[in-house]
Amino acid sequence: MTPIAQTLSRSNRLADRGARLLLLLLRARAVLVLVVLLAVFALLVPSFLSANNLSILSKHVSISAIVAIGMTFVVLAGGIDLSVGSMAGLSGMVAGYVLTHHAGGDATLLAVLAALLACLAVGAVNGLLVTRAGVAPFIATLGTLYIARGAALLISNGKTFPNLGGDASGTTRLFPAIGQSFLLHLPTPVWVMAMLFAIASGVATRTPLGRHIYAIGGNERAARLAGINVAQVKLVTYLFSGLCGALVGLIIAAQLEASHPATGETFELNAIAAVVLGGTSLMGGRGTVLGSLLGAFVIGVLADGLVMLGVSEFWQIVIKGLVIVLAVSIDQLQTRLQAAFLPYLMRSSTEAGR
Amino acid sequence: MSAGGGIILEARDVVKRYPGHVALDHITYRVHRNAVNVLIGENGAGKSTLMRILAGVEQADEGTLWLEGQPLQLGSPREASAQGIAIVHQELAVLPNLNVAENVFAGRELTHRLPVLKTDEQKSRSASALRRLHKPLAVEGLVAELSLGNRQLVELARTLAHGARVLILDEPTSALSVAETAALFQVVEELRAAGVTILYISHRLHELLHLGDYFTVLRSGRIVGEAERSEVTRQWIVERMSGRSEAERVASAGVAVASPVALEVKGLRTTAMAQDESVRTALDGVSLVLRRGEVLGLYGLLGAGRTELLEVLAGLRPRADGEVLLDGQPVRLRTVAEAIAAGIAMVPEDRQRDGLVPELSIRENVVLAAKGARVLSPAQETQRVRELATQLNIVAHDLELPVTALSGGNQQKVLLARCLACAPRVLLLDEPTRGIDVGAKHEIYRILRQLASAGLSILFTSSEVEETTLLADRALVLCQGRIAAELPAGAITDEALFAAASPQVATTAATSQQGSKL
Repeated sequence: MTPIAQTLSRSNRLADRGARLLLLLLRARAVLVLVVLLAVFALLVPSFLSANNLSILSKHVSISAIVAIGMTFVVLAGGIDLSVGSMAGLSGMVAGYVLTHHAGGDATLLAVLAALLACLAVGAVNGLLVTRAGVAPFIATLGTLYIARGAALLISNGKTFPNLGGDASGTTRLFPAIGQSFLLHLPTPVWVMAMLFAIASGVATRTPLGRHIYAIGGNERAARLAGINVAQVKLVTYLFSGLCGALVGLIIAAQLEASHPATGETFELNAIAAVVLGGTSLMGGRGTVLGSLLGAFVIGVLADGLVMLGVSEFWQIVIKGLVIVLAVSIDQLQTRLQAAFLPYLMRSSTEAGR
Repeated sequence: MSAGGGIILEARDVVKRYPGHVALDHITYRVHRNAVNVLIGENGAGKSTLMRILAGVEQADEGTLWLEGQPLQLGSPREASAQGIAIVHQELAVLPNLNVAENVFAGRELTHRLPVLKTDEQKSRSASALRRLHKPLAVEGLVAELSLGNRQLVELARTLAHGARVLILDEPTSALSVAETAALFQVVEELRAAGVTILYISHRLHELLHLGDYFTVLRSGRIVGEAERSEVTRQWIVERMSGRSEAERVASAGVAVASPVALEVKGLRTTAMAQDESVRTALDGVSLVLRRGEVLGLYGLLGAGRTELLEVLAGLRPRADGEVLLDGQPVRLRTVAEAIAAGIAMVPEDRQRDGLVPELSIRENVVLAAKGARVLSPAQETQRVRELATQLNIVAHDLELPVTALSGGNQQKVLLARCLACAPRVLLLDEPTRGIDVGAKHEIYRILRQLASAGLSILFTSSEVEETTLLADRALVLCQGRIAAELPAGAITDEALFAAASPQVATTAATSQQGSKL
């Protein structure tokens, strides 16, 4: 090899390394953004990293993270679930109704079961509308968004169910523990989030169901031809999203010891934002559960940090929007870069094979 | 025939490379004015690439284009169209939701000084273009309601309305019925008489011999033969296309007629249905027998019902009536999963649309259909996929690369591997080598033959005569949802296949009918 050729191949290799590094950074961008946000807020607000604040922050984050984890599978399979926020509201109201109207004894278990069933039913309706009736996911879940919200309002005629922790007659209930108790110094909602995350990422990477979800999002026709029961898999994603919505509704009602029919409004948008921030493609087929978790953390940390900095609520909304738009633009950049480097990566890998 | 004479368009020393192969290798191609210039070659020979360069859809890596002796730069189809070069693609590019006139002027709408459509002028000019084609279609009719043949006429009208001097027709008859084909021939001859230069691509030899004035044969990106009509015979074309004096068959191990029956279909019927903007042909009492280790070819024109038959067998389409027996046992094929469990797996016609999941890796694509454990094990999968990759000679160093990184031939092998991972007894292949270069094609033939010798029964469809003659132990010809003929290995010839596949008796007779059926 001539010296010139050697230099050329070295510079090629350097460019190769640079490209790989850039791709790696882009892929890990949710982590990077989170670290930067934590660092900035820690510098600007001395109490930001205090145990007390982190505890509050983790409760906020866990609520949006739970919804986002449920949303991830729906989006990965090429759908969307706009009804999760309404389901959270419905779940709280169903639980509140049962607790308030159940005479004698602690009806916590019954209330939880009723709330879960109500939301699973909404999830099933979503899934059946999409898979059997052929309604576009956006429209189907937009419909159930209104239906579930209306049902939540109808249950109490628009009123709040108060005193879910116990009432004047002296009965106390276990219910508030769902949102307020601690296990090993961590709030229960954080544990719920952690468990859902573990289950969801296990399913996504380690089970045929997970593989099928990715395959359907990537190419539904091909998935069908490979013998995958597309309708069943999609139904499961909507059921899981409904389950997550129900859990969030229960947690919020338990934290407040009251349930209000407007709970959960715009949660679905927060969840979609978290999922997209985490690098999941809204076209389906590409993304991770971990990404959605990180996305929820970014949104949660940003919101709490801005509050502590005293930024006006209106500016917070603008900033959140900017972050989402920026994140999706970077996602597109990553896709294009990957496509551009694909032949390059292939060549170097075949050369390495020789 | 070639009145006017001379060269109107020339591609000089053109080179076009794609990742992995050279599509055009220093080609100099001359288009004769006011004549039908025929371009022939197998799939992957470079015909379509050359046409796309002449039509401005793609740009050559090296070489120059000359129009009327002037150098020509084409950066886009629009620039080519401005020079009077127009192309009608194999896959028609009409907009079914718009009407005929709107299609004719799609992208080049006529407007007043304000951007307001001159609807009336568009309609009258569309009508006059259609009159030149002798097809007074209603210009306000929706294109979605037109037959394939008429949609093609809309495309032709579009090129005429924009003053095309050179018209490129890329496999224009592949989707047409015999009557529609005859009508198209009439149109082509009239256009030539009206001074339009035609570039005609097809691999239907009888059509080319009927229409062509100048013949050019491409093979593996090179021009291997040029001649005028008077010098051309069928033999001349076949020899140059294949590069062999007589096309070699993939050595058949000689399937014993006594080999047990693997698959039997009795009196299969389906109902016609509209799907994805195309009408699916109804199967009308199809019966067939496929023996163990046999490679059975299913030939037919587009719309004959080939794909429908495979889809029923793969569990994708319900059957209205009839029985399917696998090793003598009746099987229900209500879902794909049921078909796979019964031992029937299918490689679909359109790899990109129905086969590959682009987001997944090569490994994940291969194991997609396999019934796996409850918990996936990437290590076990990798090992299984390695074995299959070796067996099928899938050239990929890293199985974790996206499947889109592979060439067409290797992608097809990935889909083949996906089927084999399900351990099928019957393998269905819809156009097994569509869009694959010649080398990979013959490799796939060899692989299929090996699989058959190992006891797998293979049923494949093809719209290519050559593929059917090379690969099949026996061929069935479908026509309008029925089996029109059965041909044993020795009797599979172009003539026999064409004759049986055409809904009308003889194509030459149909030509003189001038497509009155349109």
